[in-house]
Amino acid sequence: MADKKKLSVEEMLAACRKQDGGGGAGATAPQAQEDPSSQVTPPTESTPTKATKATPAAAAKPADRAKMSVAEMLAAARGERSESAKPTSPAVPARSEKEAGAVEKAVVAKGAEKAAAVKTAKPAAPPVGSPSTKSPGTLDTASILSAVRSAAKPGPVSKSEAPARTKPVEEKSKKIVVPPMPEKPAYAVARPMSTAATTETRRGFFASVNAKIVGSSLALGFASLTVTHILWVLGLARFMFPNILTEPPTRFKVGFPDVLGLGQVDERFKAQFGVWIVKAEYEGQPQIFAIKSVCTHLGCTPNWLEAEQKFKCPCHGSGFYKDGVNFEGPAPRPLERYAIRISDDGQLEVDKSRVFHEELGQWKDISSFVPV
Amino acid sequence: MHGHLPLDEFLVQIRGFLGSYYVALATMNAIAALYLWQTGKSKIWLRVGPIELSSSLACLAASGLFLLVSPIAYSVDPSLVDVISIPKPLRAGLDKAMTPVSYSIGTFFVLAVLFVGRRWFSRPEIAWTGLNLSLLLMGFSMTDQNFASVVTKPDNVPIVGLVFLLGFFTWLATRRAVLNDERAARGEPPLEALDSEKVLVWPDLVYTELICMVALTALMLLWAIGLQAPLEEPASAMKTPNPSKAPWYFLGLQEMLVYYDPWMAGVVLPVTVIGGLMAIPYLDFNKLGNGYYTITQRRFAYVTFQFGFLVLWITLIVMGTFLRGPNWNFFGFYETWDAHKVEALNNVDLSQHFWISLLNRPMPKAPENSDLLVKIVYVVFRELPGIALIAGYFTVLPPLLVIFPPFSALFRNMYLKMGFLRYMVMSNLLLTMALLPIKMVLRWTINLKYFIAIPEYLLNF
Repeated sequence: MADKKKLSVEEMLAACRKQDGGGGAGATAPQAQEDPSSQVTPPTESTPTKATKATPAAAAKPADRAKMSVAEMLAAARGERSESAKPTSPAVPARSEKEAGAVEKAVVAKGAEKAAAVKTAKPAAPPVGSPSTKSPGTLDTASILSAVRSAAKPGPVSKSEAPARTKPVEEKSKKIVVPPMPEKPAYAVARPMSTAATTETRRGFFASVNAKIVGSSLALGFASLTVTHILWVLGLARFMFPNILTEPPTRFKVGFPDVLGLGQVDERFKAQFGVWIVKAEYEGQPQIFAIKSVCTHLGCTPNWLEAEQKFKCPCHGSGFYKDGVNFEGPAPRPLERYAIRISDDGQLEVDKSRVFHEELGQWKDISSFVPV
Repeated sequence: MHGHLPLDEFLVQIRGFLGSYYVALATMNAIAALYLWQTGKSKIWLRVGPIELSSSLACLAASGLFLLVSPIAYSVDPSLVDVISIPKPLRAGLDKAMTPVSYSIGTFFVLAVLFVGRRWFSRPEIAWTGLNLSLLLMGFSMTDQNFASVVTKPDNVPIVGLVFLLGFFTWLATRRAVLNDERAARGEPPLEALDSEKVLVWPDLVYTELICMVALTALMLLWAIGLQAPLEEPASAMKTPNPSKAPWYFLGLQEMLVYYDPWMAGVVLPVTVIGGLMAIPYLDFNKLGNGYYTITQRRFAYVTFQFGFLVLWITLIVMGTFLRGPNWNFFGFYETWDAHKVEALNNVDLSQHFWISLLNRPMPKAPENSDLLVKIVYVVFRELPGIALIAGYFTVLPPLLVIFPPFSALFRNMYLKMGFLRYMVMSNLLLTMALLPIKMVLRWTINLKYFIAIPEYLLNF
């Protein structure tokens, strides 16, 4: 196991070859030779369409399909992947011409020859191009692999690499001749749709019935989807109006006004209704009002501190005077008042559905207090 | 819950923890002494005749001292325990001195001193001494009922851990940065550049992860068994716990909420924090310090970040946890949490300061039943001083920082390298951050409530 772990790629390839029996050795070398050079040049020929890309693979396949070795397959796969399947060394185009004989392929080869010529003139190419200039017989696996390895690494391109990769495309994009598209094979040509009317099958019958009723099955699907959604929304709307409300009533009586002494804060209704009934002076006028026990800072419930005569919020320390006006801590505005009035039986009645803000001048509203 | 047990009962309660705490400290120091001695890393500080006072020996001495303290903690004798506690007058004095102002300024000052003297403070022997002293201080404080009840609350235990853990990691980073800076001064590559050796995922990393996983699971189990889950009474919309505290990691935010409107402190400022952190890569033109610890090469970035993190976040969490009691009042470490502590805080808006105190006239107010537009104009006119102040703070101050000393050298360089737009974004983020401590100080000193107070339209700043 330990030995197997350390097997390098080269060794694995060599082992594969041995298993193949070396039958394809002759064919492997030129094919592999073509590959490294194409690996080097990916950016230069990235524009050709898929059709041209397929050429070398097509060229290689008829050669000896049965004898294809792993290396060959790899090379073919690489050639397709790197979008640079065009043969670049002069020897290979000749071969592909012979084998395929198609006009478009010749065009490709010519374009590739030009590209190859440009490339060999460039100083950047030599280290990579060296294996390709060698004759096919002298190529060994190590040189092929080294050429493959030195090629551009796959994966995302970093910013620093981008210019090196993209520049050549701009330079040579004009020179590349785009070959015409190959003709579509017979099996790929779209057949005319057979309608239910022309061919009477079971499926066709149902489709035609369906079409006569609702248009098409797609329309049926979307129609039912729409109906379902509408029902959902209606159900949701109904949910907003429950049959029974379990919360305490918003209108409730809190006793007679003369029970409270002046300056007294009644805490009896805080736990159930969230309201303090206060009989105190506000702006020099004695009155009874209902203060909502929700802090205007962030909605905690303040406590009434009898000893300090103030409402104090435990969350951030906001403090309010007895009349609900804020004076310490972060609360930005006074506590809110609920509507209060004297009902027909003489008791005080609080209406929680209406609130009065001091900062909006609403405490002057006659509904917000009961004068004493 | 809060420290009203008779003293002897309390001491019986705490002795198990305190005794083993000191034994653990002794063991810790003994292991350190053994390690120093065996690895030969022990440094000789002083030579008196044949005796060499080395760091190993010092650790051993500390270990012995803790070992002596441990049985005293186990004994429940109040007069003996007094020896291992902070003297009562000192505690009272500390409580009296502890106000939001002194706490904030004190922590800021301590951190600043640590930063300036980082070369000395980050030396391992000094850091070890500091750790021992702080642990000893905590042990001495634990005999105080009020301190113990706050610190041992299941909610607060993680924060005690956090304080020490954060201290350790800050020390580690500072130590490496100091070493790297010294190396850079000598023209050597940073330590991280030397350590380029690769290790295998299997078995090295996977084994480490496995061990960490097992150890952490064991710790969590022990924690869950040892400390009761801090569950409270069923929630009620009509009853808010007093004090009502956010989760510990949000206590800094809760402290911020004391000084700003909920919209400001709960939404705008946190979003600005996140946005500002995201903007750093686009604002930072300093290419140094990539992949290694350093302080001198990135002084501005380091100081800004540590100010924001340690001063404006961590110390506020500590303050919110240990120093904020009922009604969000401020209490000292050894003070009883009295729900009826009276602190007169009459907060006044800037506009009230301006119109009433300064100009001695009533605030401008729209006449009754006027249009919305008229009302808005009046409101803006009323809040004009605050609006002008804040607008000037964000628009006029950045150019002034470039032009006038004492920071002009720093900010001019930034302006030249960043260009107008990037500089304005950077300086505005910086000023937004600075606004928090400024507002805190103004609240404590002149009881300023809001710069701009428009409660009519829920706009306060």
